[in-house]
Amino acid sequence: MKRLRVVLSLVLAFVLTLSLLSGCTSKTKQQSSQPNSTGQASKNKNFKVGLVTDVGGINDHSFNQLAYQGIEKAKNELGVTVNFIQSKQQTDYVTNLTQFAQQKYNLVIAVGYLMKDAVEQVSKEFPDTKFLIIDSDITDRPNVASATFKTEQCGYLVGVMAGLMEKEKNAKLNDQNVVGVIGGMQIPPVDSYIAGFQQGVKAVNPDTKVLVSYTGNFNDPASGKQMALTQISQGADIVFGVAGQAGDGVINAAKEKNIYAIGVDADQNYMAPDTVMTSALKKVDTATFDTIKSVLDNNFKSGLVYFDLANDGVGYAKPIKDVPQSIVDKVDEYAKQIKDGTIKVSDQVQK
Amino acid sequence: MNKILKSIYMPILAVIIAIIIGSIIMLVTGFNPLAAYASLFIGAFGTLPNIANTLANAVPLIITGLGVAIAFNAGLFNIGAEGQYWIGAIVATWIGYSFKGLPWYIHIPFALIGAMVAAGLWGGIVPGFAKAYTGAHEVITTMMMSYVAIYFSHYLLEFGPMMEKGSVPQSPLIKDSAIIPTILRNTQLSYGIFIAIAAALFVYWLMYKTVWGYEMRAVGFNQRASKYAGMNVPLNIVLSLSLSGIFAGLAGAVQILGVQHRLYDSFTSGYGYTAIVVALLAKNNPIGVVFSALLFAALGTGSQYMQLNAQVPGQLADVITGLIIFFVAADKIIEVLKSMFKKQKKEELAS
Repeated sequence: MKRLRVVLSLVLAFVLTLSLLSGCTSKTKQQSSQPNSTGQASKNKNFKVGLVTDVGGINDHSFNQLAYQGIEKAKNELGVTVNFIQSKQQTDYVTNLTQFAQQKYNLVIAVGYLMKDAVEQVSKEFPDTKFLIIDSDITDRPNVASATFKTEQCGYLVGVMAGLMEKEKNAKLNDQNVVGVIGGMQIPPVDSYIAGFQQGVKAVNPDTKVLVSYTGNFNDPASGKQMALTQISQGADIVFGVAGQAGDGVINAAKEKNIYAIGVDADQNYMAPDTVMTSALKKVDTATFDTIKSVLDNNFKSGLVYFDLANDGVGYAKPIKDVPQSIVDKVDEYAKQIKDGTIKVSDQVQK
Repeated sequence: MNKILKSIYMPILAVIIAIIIGSIIMLVTGFNPLAAYASLFIGAFGTLPNIANTLANAVPLIITGLGVAIAFNAGLFNIGAEGQYWIGAIVATWIGYSFKGLPWYIHIPFALIGAMVAAGLWGGIVPGFAKAYTGAHEVITTMMMSYVAIYFSHYLLEFGPMMEKGSVPQSPLIKDSAIIPTILRNTQLSYGIFIAIAAALFVYWLMYKTVWGYEMRAVGFNQRASKYAGMNVPLNIVLSLSLSGIFAGLAGAVQILGVQHRLYDSFTSGYGYTAIVVALLAKNNPIGVVFSALLFAALGTGSQYMQLNAQVPGQLADVITGLIIFFVAADKIIEVLKSMFKKQKKEELAS
């Protein structure tokens, strides 16, 4: 027994010394890497941005990750101080938002509509803190901005690209003139993509048949794959998945059957480089970066803040080389017409 | 006396060993363990709001843990507490928003009792009778019933009858008269904590001071002997599984009325699963359940704070909490270590 205690205390002492040492070294490192800051830089350094992710965490290949990239960009380019917490469960939202607000963070970013109630509650308690919530619609708070994305516009552009590709001839395309889109749940953020896609395809290729189906979830790749395989069996040779992780299954199915897929939210080409011909982008990173900048410049706007083609809030990822330059030029032409208002894209799905 | 001392001494030793191993991992990965553990502790108990949040997180774990402990005491492995929790949450939400104009002293008990009855039937009727009369294993039946409950709630919320008008899959907010008020501003601690403590005392009384509890425990020790002694074994099986469901349902109801105020989709709460570990750690003692639930809740709130203030990533925070749980739960390992030291000592003496 005594021996155990001796061993334990020795180990403890050893660990404590080590940790003290490591504490010192890391501190000196930090100090040496800090440049002599001017007035503006130190003001920015005192500007603190906190990010609260939902349970997806910052490696979810989607919203949370993009939001994180946005604050990292702000850290590097604007020199602001950033920090983030990954929520483990829904009840963490209020606690985490409060934690940042109490520590006098200037801007607190909440990712996802699920945090709406939490943001409404916390923003009332901390009127001096600014909040940004992605994909929500809080309009009655002077200190809350809600980022809303016009995803029907980028859906339209990838639809144009798909419609034009149907007229091409290559090994991955059949001559049945069918494309498919697979949504997660039948909710507006998904349907706006689908509506844009339908209109885009029809604009350049009115005879194309657009199949639409829903998986009913965002987290089951198997169901996405199943839906995609069904559409492929009905002749689809380009499939567009708007279904979160369930969309991973759509891309897998396309790869397996050697046809094209279109990614969503982020550039998903890395998942299957020869299959994902482009991705419809929802630039959450731009939204977070722009909002950080606006608060820093005292330009913060509360209420709904729209992100669309005009302010580079949505767009499409660089297509792979299978897509001819002539098609890309055509897509850019349509983008221009949407930007200047010649084309109006509806966010209502046609049944 | 000696026994009580031992039961406290072992978990504390386990925590110390876990802390040492955790420190080594953090040193290797380049974090300062002192800062990390300090912020883990401050996050859980450092300030009044933090203590309140720890208590708030413990509430659903205490009540669900009690339910699981009752079944375990009767020798029944109820792993479907998650589903019973959901049934309770669904019923409490429905009663919470669909009855207008009730005074709180009717509305709150109505919602709580409704949830308890529904979840009790859910846990007791199908798995209980199936076990008692056909011998169907409760691990299978409770688990399957759990899936039914979880998917049923998804159906209700995604364009089902309980979905609020609008785009987001969630239920309407419950009426003010059904809300269990918060004790401390800016925290999630509601008066539900008193329900949890009362529940623990009740279960202790029921299991250790009444004939019913004695019979349930006797059935848990040895079914044949209990039958020979004239006890009604099937009745006790149904009764203990029902009680188990009743408490899991109560947990769901308290969480809805006290913290969430509405039902959200796309989440499993996880409380039903954590509750199994909570009960095992407490060796199924109702009072022990309170403390082991507090340990889990403290690790939860503390690790969020650790991410924020010690910059330890969420995943590493999970590793540390996992280690602590592992060593607390696996106290046999410590006994083996101890006996190894003892053996060596004896050898030294002999030589």
